[in-house]
Amino acid sequence: MRSVKAAAAAGLVLAVLTGCTREGGRVDMGPTGGVPVEGGTATMALPPNATPNWIFPIGPPGYGASYNAGIQFLLFMPVYDAVLDKDKGGLTTHGPSTLGLEPKYSDGNRTVTVPLRKGVKWSDGKPVTARDLEFWFNLLKANKTNWGNYSLGTMPDNVKRFETLDDHTVRLRLTRAYNPDWFTANQLTLMRALPQHAWGARTDGGPVGDFDRTKKGAKAVFARLTRHAKSLGSYGSDPLWKTVNGPWKLAGWRDSGQVTIVPNEKFTGPRSQRPHLDKVVFKPFTTADSEYNVLRSGGVDYGYIPPSVMAQKGKFEDKGYRVDPWEGWAATYIVYNFNSTHAGPLMRQLYIRRAMQHLVDQKAMSDVIWQGSATPTLGPVPVTPKSRYLSKAMERNRYPFSVAKAKSLLTSHGWEKKDGTARCVRPGTGADECGEGIEKNDPLELTLLSQSGSTETTNTMQELKSSLSKAGIDLTVRQQPLNSVLGKSVPCTAKDPGCDWDMSFFGTAGSWYYPLNPSGEQLFSTGASANFGNYSDKKADRIIRAVQYSPDMKAVHEYGEYLADQLPVMWMPNPAYQVSVIRNDLRGIEQNPTVTFAPQDWYYVKKGAEK
Amino acid sequence: MTGFLVKRFLQALVVLFLVSIIVFVLLHMLPGGPARAILGPKGTPQQIDQFNHQQGYDRSLPTQYLMYLKRLFTGDLGDSYKLNSPVFELLKQRLPKTLLLTVLSTALAVVIAVPLGLLQAVRRGKASDYALTGLAFLLYATPVFFLGLIMIILFAQVFPVLPAEAPQGESVGELLGDFTGLVLPVVTMAFGIVAMFSRYMRSAVLDNLTEEYVRTAMAKGQSSRRILVRHVLRNALIPLATLLGLYLPTLFSGALVVESMFNYPGMGLLFWNAAQGSDFPVLLGVTLVVGIATVLGSLLTDILYAVLDPRIRSVA
Repeated sequence: MRSVKAAAAAGLVLAVLTGCTREGGRVDMGPTGGVPVEGGTATMALPPNATPNWIFPIGPPGYGASYNAGIQFLLFMPVYDAVLDKDKGGLTTHGPSTLGLEPKYSDGNRTVTVPLRKGVKWSDGKPVTARDLEFWFNLLKANKTNWGNYSLGTMPDNVKRFETLDDHTVRLRLTRAYNPDWFTANQLTLMRALPQHAWGARTDGGPVGDFDRTKKGAKAVFARLTRHAKSLGSYGSDPLWKTVNGPWKLAGWRDSGQVTIVPNEKFTGPRSQRPHLDKVVFKPFTTADSEYNVLRSGGVDYGYIPPSVMAQKGKFEDKGYRVDPWEGWAATYIVYNFNSTHAGPLMRQLYIRRAMQHLVDQKAMSDVIWQGSATPTLGPVPVTPKSRYLSKAMERNRYPFSVAKAKSLLTSHGWEKKDGTARCVRPGTGADECGEGIEKNDPLELTLLSQSGSTETTNTMQELKSSLSKAGIDLTVRQQPLNSVLGKSVPCTAKDPGCDWDMSFFGTAGSWYYPLNPSGEQLFSTGASANFGNYSDKKADRIIRAVQYSPDMKAVHEYGEYLADQLPVMWMPNPAYQVSVIRNDLRGIEQNPTVTFAPQDWYYVKKGAEK
Repeated sequence: MTGFLVKRFLQALVVLFLVSIIVFVLLHMLPGGPARAILGPKGTPQQIDQFNHQQGYDRSLPTQYLMYLKRLFTGDLGDSYKLNSPVFELLKQRLPKTLLLTVLSTALAVVIAVPLGLLQAVRRGKASDYALTGLAFLLYATPVFFLGLIMIILFAQVFPVLPAEAPQGESVGELLGDFTGLVLPVVTMAFGIVAMFSRYMRSAVLDNLTEEYVRTAMAKGQSSRRILVRHVLRNALIPLATLLGLYLPTLFSGALVVESMFNYPGMGLLFWNAAQGSDFPVLLGVTLVVGIATVLGSLLTDILYAVLDPRIRSVA
């Protein structure tokens, strides 16, 4: 009897203890109305393995992940960013959350003038001025190879001269005429205003000065700031990171990557950007499973579920959540290795690539495997969300799923199915022959390296294998961890050891996330850094350059249409960045496709009213 | 005894040295390498070359290993690529947390297993013995991740009395301050081992009950309870101590499943994270710590043996 009493008492104590609210603890999500209330804490789960690890707004290679930039933007107002223009319903580069106002191009697009929002101050009361932008540029110019966003010929190489016209205006003299849309979207969005008056010292405790105006001084200042940024454990206490101009300030940054922000009470930016919540916690999870368990028990307010669980959407809705796939501004594809030791000659035949694209049933993959959370990739420009970069012609699927068309393309070029595998029966380079480098009786056999660890990806690859086999294309799928796939899918020549991979897939969460202008200079230009399959086409090179240089929007349309047709890669369904699950009473969340977040817009609504 | 411990310590150093070579070679044989894993698809070939040069990955494997050893002797375990912190700092932060989880789970398992094993032995062949044996086998056969999942569903979702996530505090004090968050991970880990411990305890008690010293004590008229507690229990704890010492490293690495399941910020999670991102310095650091734990585990067994059985002490 005594033990029963003890157990009951222990249970009571446990119940009382657990009834207390802890950070990100269990939440009561009763029916909610629409009356906003100020205050409250929101806990947002970061995607698996997305551990924020860099605070200094100039990130070295390897630290440029979207979650790092997302958090930096909350502390340091971006000069330009992907901003949702609610009136136009599309993304633009400036708005209430940016420091920069509309940039002005002149001198035949060789000069750009950047006006800054007036009246914005750092949290120590000093005004944010053009000098802060110059400070950023000087640091960058002297240390460009230590900057993760650096690519030869682009920022800062393409700026001949950086001038400060007055406290709130800077002017960039460019090395040539650039497409204003491309330059603003993909180059000016890299700009940051850094507090020169607080960060401009060469040594800890040393005087602050204009040291950044000499190369040697800029290197010393940059080295000091980088050294501080490498001490993640001190982010929460280091005075350097306390000088901010964004709507939020740091309240904690744990070694595990958990970041807590609270409103910056000294924020002087637009009124609409002032936070409503008292606190936001960004919580990292190493595995999606642990996050899923915590989410199901109400431990996070804004999390994610695997697409395979979309079928249980109703259960989450019953618990008081809403389920909303977060579409990323991305393209998803399988890389063809045009120099593959074994399959290079096959990959180089456009008709084979077309036949294979006809065998990708994107709609079925999206509906069945991704539970409707993926969208088709029809070319190098994302189809969703709609944008000015997408022409009418690009909305059309040039290669709809059709086994018959695939078979016809192959047979009309001299292939015949024997024992289930297509073999070349008419070698040669004629219009109805197999093509250069393909010998008589050569089989249409390919190997695909694909990332492992995702049920959806495994099923997608099996579906693809099955479809390709219908036309006699024998696909062997080798699944390996993402790191391994990325490590092997490097540009190579047929003579190089390790160039025996034919196709490669690393797109479980999207293969490539674009900056605002989805130009392809890093992906499809001859010799480009992320052109892993060595695709090379003179016309493609020319039109990709036009996207960077020509002010005409037709350039990006031509680029999109040409590469959608030429198939430098195999277009695959583009999965959502994540399938978000958000508390019903947490409102104001716009899921920006460039994967930044704006918790200053978030607010709770009063409980107790009708749903 | 001292000589014996010194000898064991030197053996341990050799083992650790061999382990470090094997792990180093195996890690560096992994395809891809850390550069692409860290820099991602957007890393340019120049950045990859720069990374490999900075980390010394463009040198021969023996040179890299010698550099690693040299750094190791100065206490420098390198920096984590992913977590942007010195590995030593990370280990210093995470190790106490995993130790806390391991110690609490082991203590709970022992507290449950010892009386359970004793009870089973005393009631051998009776219904309660069969019932407890059945339960022990069921627990023993249940994988930790499944057990954890059941716990979460039951106590965090169906009857939401406990959080599904472990506390995220930075220190052991903070973790203990949020004790309710520790309940499910500790219980999950403890239940995974309680079955084994209780089976060992049952066998050990049964073995001792047939010993002559028990018969002598009974002949002297001592009570059953006194014989059981004063004599049998003490001797029966020796095999359990052996098991405990040898099992400690397993427990340590076994924390990986529990930590990733409950998002517990310990060594297991650190290792998992590092393995996902080819974070070589962290992987090497954690392996070194697990190696040390293994060696310490066997040393601990020897010491416990000596404490529990004075005969062993005199032999040593």
